[in-house]
Amino acid sequence: MGEGGSLPTMDLMRSEPMQLARIIIPMESAHRTISYLGDLGLFQFKDLNSGKSPFQRTFATQIKRCGEMARKLRFFKVQMMKAGLLTLRSAYGSEISLDELEVKLGELEAELIEMNTNTEKLQRAYNELLEYKLVLQKAGDFFHHAQSSATAQQRESEEHHLVEGSMDSPLLLEQEMTTDISKQVKLGYVSGLVPRDKSMAFERILFRTTRGNVFLKQNVVEEHVVDPVQGEKVEKNVFVVFYSGERAKNKVLKICDAFGANRYPFTDDIGKRYQMITEVSGKLSELKTTIDVGTLHWSSAVQAIANQFEQWNNLVKKEKSIYHTLNALSFDVTKKCLVAEGWCPVFATTQIQKALQRATVDSNSQVGAIFEVLHTKESPPTYFRTNKFTSAFQEIVDAYGVAKYQEANPGLFTIVTFPFLFAVMFGDWGHGICLFLATLFLILREKKYSSQKLGDIMEMAFGGRYVIIMMSIFSIYTGFIYNEFFSVPFELFGRSAYDCRDPSCRDATTIGMIKVRETYPFGVDPIWHGTRSELPFLNSLKMKMSILLGVAQMNLGIVLSYFNAKFFQNDINIWYQFIPQMIFLNSLFGYLSLLIIVKWCTGSQADLYHVMIYMFLSPTDDLGENQLFWGQKYLQILLLLLALVAVPWMLIPKPILLKKQHEERHRGQAYAPLQSLDENIDSDSEYKSHDGHEEFEFSEVLVHQLIHTIEFVLGSVSNTASYLRLWALSLAHSELSSVFYEKVLLLAWGFDNVVILVIGIIVFIFATVGVLLVMETLSAFLHALRLHWVEFQNKFYEGDGYKFSPFSFALVSEEEED
Amino acid sequence: MGFILTTLIFLVIGIIACFCARICCNKGPSANLFHLTLVITATVCCWMMWAIVYLAQMNPLIVPILSEGE
Repeated sequence: MGEGGSLPTMDLMRSEPMQLARIIIPMESAHRTISYLGDLGLFQFKDLNSGKSPFQRTFATQIKRCGEMARKLRFFKVQMMKAGLLTLRSAYGSEISLDELEVKLGELEAELIEMNTNTEKLQRAYNELLEYKLVLQKAGDFFHHAQSSATAQQRESEEHHLVEGSMDSPLLLEQEMTTDISKQVKLGYVSGLVPRDKSMAFERILFRTTRGNVFLKQNVVEEHVVDPVQGEKVEKNVFVVFYSGERAKNKVLKICDAFGANRYPFTDDIGKRYQMITEVSGKLSELKTTIDVGTLHWSSAVQAIANQFEQWNNLVKKEKSIYHTLNALSFDVTKKCLVAEGWCPVFATTQIQKALQRATVDSNSQVGAIFEVLHTKESPPTYFRTNKFTSAFQEIVDAYGVAKYQEANPGLFTIVTFPFLFAVMFGDWGHGICLFLATLFLILREKKYSSQKLGDIMEMAFGGRYVIIMMSIFSIYTGFIYNEFFSVPFELFGRSAYDCRDPSCRDATTIGMIKVRETYPFGVDPIWHGTRSELPFLNSLKMKMSILLGVAQMNLGIVLSYFNAKFFQNDINIWYQFIPQMIFLNSLFGYLSLLIIVKWCTGSQADLYHVMIYMFLSPTDDLGENQLFWGQKYLQILLLLLALVAVPWMLIPKPILLKKQHEERHRGQAYAPLQSLDENIDSDSEYKSHDGHEEFEFSEVLVHQLIHTIEFVLGSVSNTASYLRLWALSLAHSELSSVFYEKVLLLAWGFDNVVILVIGIIVFIFATVGVLLVMETLSAFLHALRLHWVEFQNKFYEGDGYKFSPFSFALVSEEEED
Repeated sequence: MGFILTTLIFLVIGIIACFCARICCNKGPSANLFHLTLVITATVCCWMMWAIVYLAQMNPLIVPILSEGE
């Protein structure tokens, strides 16, 4: 692809020239070379091992190591969050190598895990002891009473059994009765804590399973108790269950386990109980100190980690990305070196070579790296050097499609026309000032916000701060032109041009005023606001303005396609696409624009709809009172003929000429000498060259051209009409603003009551900010975007390139900040 | 007359803006051309909008009819 060397180059107009380069790196300096290239961030590596799976690649084990280390670092991060520490921007400590770091991370992880399990165990023991102490204290209160009640109940039930039994077999049972009464009632008991919400169910199930043969006494524990198993504070009750017999005991134990009721031994003896209580209290305080010491140790370990976390994290990320990149290089076994291929900008050549030299020196290698430029027919990636101001606009364009390598970049004009078209739809200098102040705040706090992590919406607003400030500046300008300050006009630039017909102003409300002075010098005359004929006048003005601006922007688009054709030395496109397109668009809509301007200058009453429609329907008819200038009829016939000729001019010659070109190019190739075939086999076939024995289907090309022509012809009408959205949105904005002002603020003012006024002001502020400053801004933004993406860019933009994504540590660390 | 005068004013402001851009940020010929393009585009856009609104009001076909109670 040749270059149009006649025109001087302009920043951002076309992609930076890129070249495909090959770097041959000796093994010893490979790691360091990639590291320095990553710091530089101007080389995009191609994946030379794309056929291999991730496990077959050379450095798969290294990547696994890095993955392990990243997992350990994530574990540390969880611990740090538990301790409530934030990751600090650590000062750059000593340089640490990856191997050392691996060992250190392993040690720290084992230590932390051990500390965590120990703490857990100790904590559990502590909670159990606490519960035991509670049982000892509380159960003692009601134990004896409960025991006596239980024994009484047991004796009763036994007597009951005996009484019943004696009716059946009096002789045998009499003997039993005597022996039984003399026996002492032996009851077993179980004591413990049960969660309060389960206590009723616990009691019921105990009663049912043992058929009422147990006695349960519960007492409430006032404070919450930490459950040893779950570790959470739960409300519990102290209980004592009295039972008799082995079977009952098993049932009770099982039920206790099922309900999660923890059982603790309890002694009858008061003295022993007090002794137990003191013992348990002693153990508790011991455990507490141990736990405290352990926690202190843990938090100091975590703090030490937190200080270094950022640095370690970055190191691991960096190393992982270096190994991923190394995996993409091809390994030449015979020469013991790695071969890298990739794209880099031409201007970066010296920087890259310097980095390579530094790596050679730093790694004490005997052999230096070799940097050579390859020639290829592949399409390079597109790279624009943007700064913080232009990058937002370039992203807007890239969102639609990345520019093909070295085609004209619409982003250049978007920097001005996008905020301008937004402002045409937004025009109010009061709102513009609000928007300006808000964005100014963001820009002044740039440094602070760029290092913070912002929410999604804030991040979008912050990222687009330069776009929004341009939009607000243009809005202030168009606000002055539309003469609207929160929908109120001012006489800022001179006196209004209109005055009453006679001193009494009788006719002002019926026939209207007349223009007595010079036209209001800047913008819309302030008299118009609030009049009955305001809308017809403004609508006519804004619709015609939209058409004029639209035709201007579309012409700019077609002119850019001329520059593209000139740059790629594509003469066919100039003669058989650019020229007929210009002729077609301007003979119809350029002529309409001319008529609009002439009508305005002469003040004629001609009906332009009529003129345009009858230009097509009956071009030879006399124009009569729609005549704007001498010779208009003949000019119209000429323009109609030109437009009619332009359509086949766009459609037919280009495919025929392309076919001729293709035949010429391949005429010689059929008779190529045989040697060239051998050369092709021997030559280095490492890079894939799509050498074009391209297929040429004439029918395909013709259909493509037909679609292109129809799209342009029909599109010229629809795109011109599409620009009328400039009118529509500007009307909506001014009407909304006027409604809020008149129906909220003025209404509140009319009541002469301070409270209502204050309420009115608050409602006005909320409505203005919510509807006009947020919703209208987004709406106008969207429509201006659409006008650029569709109506402007479809005249010249192909947008099927791919973006230059160099290997850069800055980008890597940004990526993983999720 | 007012039209031509104000157009000249726009032209002068545009030229002054070009010079300001050249003085403030002179970063090589391609960057200078870029700034020049932006300034010219902005001036042309602003002038077009003003000119359209001015021309539309020069020979009006509709006159303001005040609403009742003004």
